Amino acid sequence: MQNKIAAYKYSIGIFLIIALVAALYLGAYDFEKPIITTINEYLHTKEHTTDSYVLIELRLPRILMALFTGAGLAICGTSLQGLFKNPLASPDLIGITSGSVLFPAITIVLGNHFIDWLPAFFKYALLSIMSFIGALLTMIFVYRMATTNGKTNILILLLSGVAITALTGAVTGFLTYISTEEELRNLTFWSLGSLAGANWWKTFIVILFVSIGSFFLLKKGKVLNALMLGEKEAAHLGFDIEHTKKQIIIIVAFVVGSVVAFNGTIGFIGLVIPYILRFVFKSNYNILLPLSIILGAVVLLIADTVSRTIVSPAELPIGILTAIMGAPVFISILINYKRKM
Amino acid sequence: MLHIHQLNYQIKSKTLLNNIDLSIKPGELIAIVGPNGAGKSTLLSSIANELKYEAKTFQLKKKNISNFSANELPFYRAKFSQHHAAEINLKISEIVLMGRYPYFSNEPSSTDWEIVEKWMQKTETKHLEDREYEQLSGGEKQRLHLSRVFAQLENNINEKLLLLDEPLNNLDVAHQFKTLHLIQAFTKKNNAALVVLHDLNIASQFADRLLLLNKGSIEIFDIPQKVLTQERISKVYQYPCTIIKHPITQLPIILFG
Repeated sequence: MQNKIAAYKYSIGIFLIIALVAALYLGAYDFEKPIITTINEYLHTKEHTTDSYVLIELRLPRILMALFTGAGLAICGTSLQGLFKNPLASPDLIGITSGSVLFPAITIVLGNHFIDWLPAFFKYALLSIMSFIGALLTMIFVYRMATTNGKTNILILLLSGVAITALTGAVTGFLTYISTEEELRNLTFWSLGSLAGANWWKTFIVILFVSIGSFFLLKKGKVLNALMLGEKEAAHLGFDIEHTKKQIIIIVAFVVGSVVAFNGTIGFIGLVIPYILRFVFKSNYNILLPLSIILGAVVLLIADTVSRTIVSPAELPIGILTAIMGAPVFISILINYKRKM
Repeated sequence: MLHIHQLNYQIKSKTLLNNIDLSIKPGELIAIVGPNGAGKSTLLSSIANELKYEAKTFQLKKKNISNFSANELPFYRAKFSQHHAAEINLKISEIVLMGRYPYFSNEPSSTDWEIVEKWMQKTETKHLEDREYEQLSGGEKQRLHLSRVFAQLENNINEKLLLLDEPLNNLDVAHQFKTLHLIQAFTKKNNAALVVLHDLNIASQFADRLLLLNKGSIEIFDIPQKVLTQERISKVYQYPCTIIKHPITQLPIILFG
């Protein structure tokens, strides 16, 4: 078993390296000089050439953003599925992604004048905090809606997600009417989802949030496995179930909030990644959690590279690509359900 | 090692357990018996702290139960529940390994796997290893969870408490007896077990003492010879019966009808 996990880790690792190299070199702009030379020159002169600007200010932060966004969404999806004991519970399907769009959207439009005064870091931090609040409120709402006596009804959970998504759609739709052109661009970007806005500040915040969140979520493998036995049985193995639930809900809101604040709604990653891993490792969360981080990172990096090269020099919204992967997975999970009914 | 005084449990105004007093010594195998709805499972759940009961005294190993921390109790006390998850998408041995979760933080040690292996052999579930959990029969699932619970209490600590809620359900006769022998071997090592049983004859053959519950109160808590009298059993179960002696063990056997 250990060998099998190692083999998978290495093969995903190799994919990661290939994807990284491809992501560095592919794009609307072709580098004139080798990358090492460009970086060396920049470190000496501290002045950007076109090469170094594209490399250091555009591609590198974007690649890192893709890696950490994918990792964050994937591990959150896996954790939620474990918590709700259902492969359909992913941040987008239960409305958390939508919920975390709502608050920063309101902030952008209503707090426009105020926000422009803030330095970059605070502005981004404010948006991610608003996003986090939106995500957290949504999580608490859908959880309360769907759970009675410790049992979660997956149908109500998903439908609550639909309700939240509809509400967000309505509010953002309304906001587009009263927003200026600049605000409008920001809003559209959110509803479609894109990594194009990545810069070092945003990337730094996402790396921070995703790393902290993953650090805590990675420890939840045993308790998520034990939850499959039932809550009482898990408690007899020494786990504090209520505490675990609260922790996971807050961390997921924290990670999804930060990711959505800067990249908008990139759907289905939290659904697809654990789905793929379950084929090999069943539902063993001790393995699913760490592997979903790596696989999520690779898949989103590839998707982003494709999104910015396939119709170059224009860009395809990445949400289209993740939906192409996600919809069949969604349907196949539903077919599986139907068989069991 | 288990000492309970005046335990009460009620839902709204309905009293399900009434003034339960019991004391159990290490080495004892106690069978909880009684008719349907007498409160057998409720009593076991209370002792497992799954319910919000009220009790004047509740001591395990001479220490108040509330003074135990949540992560030390799994080493002393394990519970086997009556109902098991219908679906667990894990390998069979990984389900048994859950019993070892209190013992390791990230990676199970080789000892943990050896203990899993040992109990799967003892409960005769080793051959199920490559099967899907969902496709196991009721009895096979039952034995699998039994090996998980036994694996949980495999340590050097003295005076452990094992709680089993109808562990013999779905088991064929041979496995019923094998399971009881496993429980007996456990209690012989200075541990105690409380087992909810339906079959009075099996309880009589294996238990050191019988706890007969009726309508939420203890009718009598004593050795089988004293508990199983024609008059008492007919009254509690409201059905006529005859008591004879087991030809070999000389313990009471009940024939209903």
